[in-house]
Amino acid sequence: MYILGIDCFYHDAAACLLKDGKIVAAAEEERFTRRKHDINFPINAIKFCLRQANITVDDLEFVTFYEKPLIKFERILNSNIEMFPFSFPVFYKAMPSWLNEKLKLKSIIRKKMKYNGEVLFVDHHLAHAASCFLISPFKKSAILTIDGVGEWATTSLGFGEGNNITLFEQIKFPHSIGLLYSAVTEYLGFKVNNDEYKVMGLAALGEPTYYDDFKKIIHINEDGSYSLDMSYFIYHYKLSMVSKKFIKQFGPKRIPESDLEKRHIDIAATLQKITEDAMFKMLNHLYEQTKCKNLCMAGGVALNCVVNGKIRKHTPFKEIFIQPAASDAGAGMGSAFFIYNTVLDRKREFTMENAYLGPGFSRDHIKNFLTKNKINFTEFKDDSELLRKTAKLIFDNKIIGFFQGRMEWGPRALGNRSILANPCNPQMKDILNDKVKHREDFRPFAPVTTIEDFKKYFESDHGDTFMLFVYPIKKDKQRTIPSVTHVDGTGRIQTVSREQNKRYYQVIKEFEKLSGVPVLINTSFNIRGEPIVCTPEDAYRCMMGTGIDYLVMENFLIGRADNPKDMWDSWKGRREILIKMG
Amino acid sequence: MSSGLGDFFKGFYEGFKSFGQSVSKVVNLILLGVVYFVGMGLTAIFAKAFGKKFLEIKATDSKSTWEKVRIKKEQLENYKRMF
Repeated sequence: MYILGIDCFYHDAAACLLKDGKIVAAAEEERFTRRKHDINFPINAIKFCLRQANITVDDLEFVTFYEKPLIKFERILNSNIEMFPFSFPVFYKAMPSWLNEKLKLKSIIRKKMKYNGEVLFVDHHLAHAASCFLISPFKKSAILTIDGVGEWATTSLGFGEGNNITLFEQIKFPHSIGLLYSAVTEYLGFKVNNDEYKVMGLAALGEPTYYDDFKKIIHINEDGSYSLDMSYFIYHYKLSMVSKKFIKQFGPKRIPESDLEKRHIDIAATLQKITEDAMFKMLNHLYEQTKCKNLCMAGGVALNCVVNGKIRKHTPFKEIFIQPAASDAGAGMGSAFFIYNTVLDRKREFTMENAYLGPGFSRDHIKNFLTKNKINFTEFKDDSELLRKTAKLIFDNKIIGFFQGRMEWGPRALGNRSILANPCNPQMKDILNDKVKHREDFRPFAPVTTIEDFKKYFESDHGDTFMLFVYPIKKDKQRTIPSVTHVDGTGRIQTVSREQNKRYYQVIKEFEKLSGVPVLINTSFNIRGEPIVCTPEDAYRCMMGTGIDYLVMENFLIGRADNPKDMWDSWKGRREILIKMG
Repeated sequence: MSSGLGDFFKGFYEGFKSFGQSVSKVVNLILLGVVYFVGMGLTAIFAKAFGKKFLEIKATDSKSTWEKVRIKKEQLENYKRMF
């Protein structure tokens, strides 16, 4: 039985195909269209999924969608009525999309996919809950889903057992930790639904000196429930998020790309602290309700890896599962699993052990691309020799684009579409920023290490395949890997085993032979402002437009300096915009 | 001569398309304005008169704001609906 789960029209459109309850393929639409966070109908992702399974739409039993559009529409109308007449601009902007697309979802799916089968709609937070619990290794688990908003719910507590999921408590719009985080993200001059993780990284540089001010805008009860003082916010009826009262309390909004002041950093730190306080209380309450030491989390707020890394310390939960596309991109997948396992009561036979679910490219395909485009490259017959060479280049402080296997599912690069570099070089963070990533100075780079070695470097008994937990780096190791140690001494870790990703593992081990350190910098393989690379063409273009020194694509090594005819400057246009902004 | 005519028709088409988009924006504004100010406006006035709330925006002193729900699996037929 084939079931296709999709999400679109709000954030990160994506598609996921199940065959008999196991994932055959999954990918976000942005990787194909090259438009970051593309929300349009994921026709390219769907085509990929069908191609990967070698089926047509006629083979699909169901197409599932990650929410109930009419209930969401009810919430939109309610908000507009409650805030009449101030909500007209939002109403005017939103209605065309609702009337032309979101309320016609069934016919759009049928038309765009040429599909005549059933389309099923699953409650948004149930889809989130299914996206983590039903693919976790747990037979029983407490479940927390927490995001901006679904239909009405913004936070849900639930319990999963066997095939069944029950949500038993919720908090409803407009009270939302996710929207609070987004509102402050916007206030700090960053992009909503794009840069929340930057605010999380910024928080480590500051102090929560605005805690008493934040207690005025969010009231957190002992049981973890909360309510926002909506006089500080306008997202429920306007296009912006914070009110004049918020600005009066905290000062003027930060202009995007302008210098960060101490108050901005301290506000970020306070936001992070208040989010942690709310989450820990919520989780402790959830434990009291369920008495289960397993925890599954989903929703955009579950990507807050700083919170995630502290859960075991602050709550009774011992085992935690969060899948890599925990935001809306994964909810389409969740809707498919919910129908298969829960509604149709089919046995759970899939546990997500890696995130390599996207397109892969054969060595022949890559070689054809390289020769057709007259690209100078070296082909290695012996894979081990190439991996040793890769490690040596990294040791010599070269920046390597590492492209292999199937593309990752979710926002993190996990070794198949990664940029690798030397974490022992204290200048490497600046080198990477200057040559390749052009990121804000405060943003750290993340480490990858092996499952056998992580305890030597990190204060944690648990590794993490999906890079969703931040842990303290051991004090005596921070100077050894300075380029992946954040200002507060932490790192967002990825652990990899030989079984999960043999070549990636081997590069780390070869690097260890040279340096004595089994850790690398792993950052996403993309040009700033673009999605992670998908195809060999994307990877080559990215290398040639940045300061990446070498590209390893399966058993091929390509040097940037060896191909001067294809060089271009991806930073030039953006630099000119920043100069204009002064 | 023929390329001049081609350019003319192309320009005419683009201009007409642009005009059509402007008309569409105006019509949208009028139609949506009517729906909003008449339809939603009347609803909002009646709601305020009878104390009906469509959104809970007031802060509460309550010790808990968890709303009890019981959301779990239903019959397959229920998932065919968009609500």
